[in-house]
Amino acid sequence: MDHAVIQLIVSGALMGLVYALVAYGFQLTYATSKSINFGQGELVMLSAFVSLTLTNTGLPYYLMIPGGLLFGVIAGLFVERAGVRLALEQKSEGWILMTIILGLFGISAAENIWGRDDRPFPTPIPTEPIQFFGVSITPLEISVAVGVVLIMVVIELFKRKTLLGKAFEAVSADRDAAELMGISATRTIMLSYGLSGLVAALAGILVSPITTVGPTMASALVLKAFSVAVVAGLESGFGVVIVGLFLGSLESLTSFYVGSGWREAPGLVLLILALAIRPTGIFGKAVIRKV
Amino acid sequence: MKKRVLTVLLAGLITTQAYAADSIKIALTGPFSGGSAPMGASMRDGAKIAIAEINAAGGIKVGAKMMKFEVLERDDEAKNERGALIAQELASMSDLAGVIGTVNTGVCLAGDKHYQEKGITKIITPAAGSASMTQWSKAKVKDLSIFRLAAHDGIQAAMVVEEAINRKFTKVAMLYDSTNYGVSGRDDMVEQVKKQGNKLQVVTSDKFNIGDKDMTAQLLRAKNAGAQAVLIWGIGPELAAVANGMAKIGLKAPLIGGWTLSMSNFIDNSGKNGNGTLMPQTFIEEPITPKAKAFIAAYHKAYNVKRIPSPVSAAQGYDAVFIFAAAVKQAQSTDTKKIKLALEDLKEPVQGVITTWKKPFTAWNPANEETHEAFRREQVVMGMVQDGHVIFGNDADRKRLISNATSVKGKK
Repeated sequence: MDHAVIQLIVSGALMGLVYALVAYGFQLTYATSKSINFGQGELVMLSAFVSLTLTNTGLPYYLMIPGGLLFGVIAGLFVERAGVRLALEQKSEGWILMTIILGLFGISAAENIWGRDDRPFPTPIPTEPIQFFGVSITPLEISVAVGVVLIMVVIELFKRKTLLGKAFEAVSADRDAAELMGISATRTIMLSYGLSGLVAALAGILVSPITTVGPTMASALVLKAFSVAVVAGLESGFGVVIVGLFLGSLESLTSFYVGSGWREAPGLVLLILALAIRPTGIFGKAVIRKV
Repeated sequence: MKKRVLTVLLAGLITTQAYAADSIKIALTGPFSGGSAPMGASMRDGAKIAIAEINAAGGIKVGAKMMKFEVLERDDEAKNERGALIAQELASMSDLAGVIGTVNTGVCLAGDKHYQEKGITKIITPAAGSASMTQWSKAKVKDLSIFRLAAHDGIQAAMVVEEAINRKFTKVAMLYDSTNYGVSGRDDMVEQVKKQGNKLQVVTSDKFNIGDKDMTAQLLRAKNAGAQAVLIWGIGPELAAVANGMAKIGLKAPLIGGWTLSMSNFIDNSGKNGNGTLMPQTFIEEPITPKAKAFIAAYHKAYNVKRIPSPVSAAQGYDAVFIFAAAVKQAQSTDTKKIKLALEDLKEPVQGVITTWKKPFTAWNPANEETHEAFRREQVVMGMVQDGHVIFGNDADRKRLISNATSVKGKK
C-alpha cells in the first residue's frame, strides 16, 4: 500500500472516531430507556460554545475542560427532565419530537447568544504535523483519538464493574423487574442522560479546534453518527467504534478514488444494507419478544 | 464603547432630523448581524464615514440650499426574504434619493426588482456574484436604475488565472464548494484558462460541501497529480479547512481564489496556514496614499478597532457615497431619477479612497452590463494574507497605486 492510502485511512478513521463518540451518546441513553436524544448534535455544539466562552474569560485549557463537561452533564439532565421523562412515563413516543424541538431551540439560542459566525477554538495542543512512516498526523488529531477511546473505556468499565453501572444493564434488560429489585429506573435513566451529555461535551471540546465552532457545526456530524449507531446496533458500545472507524475511512477512500461528490454515498449504502439485512445492527442482539 | 457609538448615533440622528426637510435621504442595506456581518457592517461603517465627512463640510449645494445626508439603515441578515421586504419598504418611499448596499447576490436577486420597478437608484456594493447584474441584461431591460461598485466574479476569475500564469505555474488543482457560488466560480475559472491560452493544465477538479472539515482526499489527489497551486472558490470556514488540510499533508502550494479568502473567518480560522493565500482585492488596508491613510485612521478611530473587518467592503461603501454625492451635486436635485441620469454621465472625476473615478458608469446597454459596473481590471489588485492581515500580493500593484495617486495630484 502506498502512503496516500494509509494517509486517507488515518484521516478518515479520525473523523470516524468522532462519529463514534456522538453515536455513543445515542447508545448510552438507548441502553437504559430505549429513547434517543435527537438533539445530541446541538448538545455538542452548545457545549463547544460554552467551553469557548470559558476559554475567552481567560480560564486555562485544563480548567476549562471540567467546566465544559459539567455544562454537558447539566444539559443532558435538562433534556431528560424536560423532553423525555414524561413521555416515557406515559409510554408515548413524544420524546422524539421533544428532543428535536429542544435541539432546534438550542440552535436558535446559540445564534442569538454567539452569532452565526464560525469561530476558531484555541487549543494548547500543537497542530504541527508529525510524520509516522510517511503519514502526517497532528498531535491535535492524536488527542482526539486518545480522548474518544479513553472516555469510552472509562464509561464501559463503569457500566461493567460498578454496582451503579450494573443498574444500567438491569434497567435495559427489564425496567419493571429492575424496579422490583429496588433499582430506581428514573434515576438510572437520568444518569444515562447525564453521561450522554458528558460525552457530547467532550466531543465538542475535542473536535472544535479542528472543525471550528458555529451553530451548525454538528448538523452533518450527527447524521453520520446516527448511521453509525444504526449500522452498529444501538446495543453495543464498542460496536460503534468499529463501525465509526470503518465508515470514516470508507468515506475518505471513496472521496479519493471515486470522486469528492460521492463522499456521502457509502454511509447511506451501508445504512440501507444494515436496515434491510440486519435491522438490529451488526453488533446488535436479536430481540426475542415473548408474546 | 457601545455607549459611545450610541451617543454618536443619537447625535447623528438629532442633527439629521433638524435638517430633515432639506436633506438627501439615503438608505444603507446589508447584513449587519450574522455570518456575513463583517462585510455588511464594514460597508455601512465605511459609508457612514463618507457621509459624516460630507455633512461636516456643510453638505452638498443643491440649488441655493446646502443639503445634508440623512441615513436609513436596514439589516437584511443576509436573508433573501428579508432583503425583499426591505426593498419593498424602501421602494415605497417617495422622497428616497437612493440606496447603497447588499452583500449577498441572493438578496440582490430577491429585492432589486422592487427598486427597478419604481426607478429608485441603487448602487450595489459589495455583492460580487455575476447574476445581480446579468439578470437585467438577460431580461433585456431598456432602462436600469441599478449600478454596481464591486469587482464582479468575472474580473476576479480572470485575475486568479492570470496570477497563476504569472507565477509560472503550469499545473493547478481546482477546488470549489457545491453551492451555486462555488460552481459558477469554477466555470468562470475554467473559461478563463481557455481564454488565456490554455497555459494552465487543470490536473484535478474537486468539490466539497458546506460544513466539510476533512479535505484530505481532495488535497491528496491534487498533491499526487503534482499541482503547483490550488485555485479555489468557496466561503470562509471551508476555505480555512482546505488551508489547514494542505499544511497537514504537506502540500506546499499557494491558494488562489475569490475575494472571500480575505474574510476574517478564513483568516482567523486558518491562522498561519493561511499565509501566502492570494485573492483579488479592491482595497488593501495599507496607508500607501494620503487618502487611504486618512480613511484607515478615521475608520479605526470611529469604530475603535485595529483591523477593518472587511477593508474591501468599507472602502467600497465609502467610495459609493462619494460617487452618489457627486451625482446629486451634478443633478442639482434629490430626485432619484435625476440622480440616476447624472450617475450615467458624471462630468467631474470623483476622488475616492480606491481610485479617482472618471466616468464610472455610462448609459445602460442591455448588451453590456459593464455600462453599470464601475470596476475594471485595472482598479483591482492582488491581496495576500500575511499574519492575520491582507497585504499587497505583488509589489508592482502597490507601486502602481502610489504613482496613480501622485500623478492625479500633479495634475491639480
